[in-house]
Amino acid sequence: MAKPRPPIERLGASFRINLDEEERELIGRLMGELRELLAEPSGDDRLRRLFPAAYHAEADRAKDEEYQRLMRDELLASRLTGLDTVEAFFDTSDPDWDESLTEGQMTAFVQALNGVRLVLGTILDISEEHDVDDMDDDHPLVGEFQLYNFLSWVLDWSIRALQAG
Amino acid sequence: MTWVRFALASARMWPMPSAPSPIVVDRPETDEVVEPDTPWIVLVWNDPINLMSYVTYVFQKLFGYSIEKATELMLDVHQKGRAVVANGTREKAELDVFRLHEHGLWATMQRDDA
Repeated sequence: MAKPRPPIERLGASFRINLDEEERELIGRLMGELRELLAEPSGDDRLRRLFPAAYHAEADRAKDEEYQRLMRDELLASRLTGLDTVEAFFDTSDPDWDESLTEGQMTAFVQALNGVRLVLGTILDISEEHDVDDMDDDHPLVGEFQLYNFLSWVLDWSIRALQAG
Repeated sequence: MTWVRFALASARMWPMPSAPSPIVVDRPETDEVVEPDTPWIVLVWNDPINLMSYVTYVFQKLFGYSIEKATELMLDVHQKGRAVVANGTREKAELDVFRLHEHGLWATMQRDDA
């Protein structure tokens, strides 16, 4: 039996995505939903992991407010730029789609995918004790947790591919 | 991958947001208070979402740490709850925190007065 191909693999200086069209479409849709969510007014609790405090000490509260005022838009712009870099790659309607990514595209993909995963994990209230593999099939959120697992799987293989260089 | 198809069919996606609001950049002039250039430390805190492999990768990428050093720091974060990953002036620490936030890590900074 042939060894299954990893979902993402390094081929010299580039990376090949071996996901099927349905999986690519799913990731592309999630990236699009993250973009829409980022357009929401600030303060949406689902995004709290994407815009954390920079200063945790109570004595530095004013510094953190200043930091957020100056840097939040920069952070937002950075996330949107990353999504710009990778979204086209997951557009399954593109007839000229190429299955290989450059290292820069791969890096942007990993950041964007992690962003999607952080939002989904926040919505699902993932905790240290929570084991997504032990979930009963009749749990009302089993689909969402399977999706979370799927994103973890793709992200982990993406990191392995990047570190293989 | 039938479970992915199941996720596709059953996952309730996030609700559609309303129209985007314009982004207002507000950078008022501030009376800068001159502070002593005390070194600052950058901490990364444990969180249940980020993958251990991802945290290690980010430490390697941002700080140029070896896989061994990056793994050691990641394990400190995971087992002790936090780890100091960088230090320097306030400006440098803010930049490091920003780059860690760009990568989705839970990073903060504080004066190194311990």
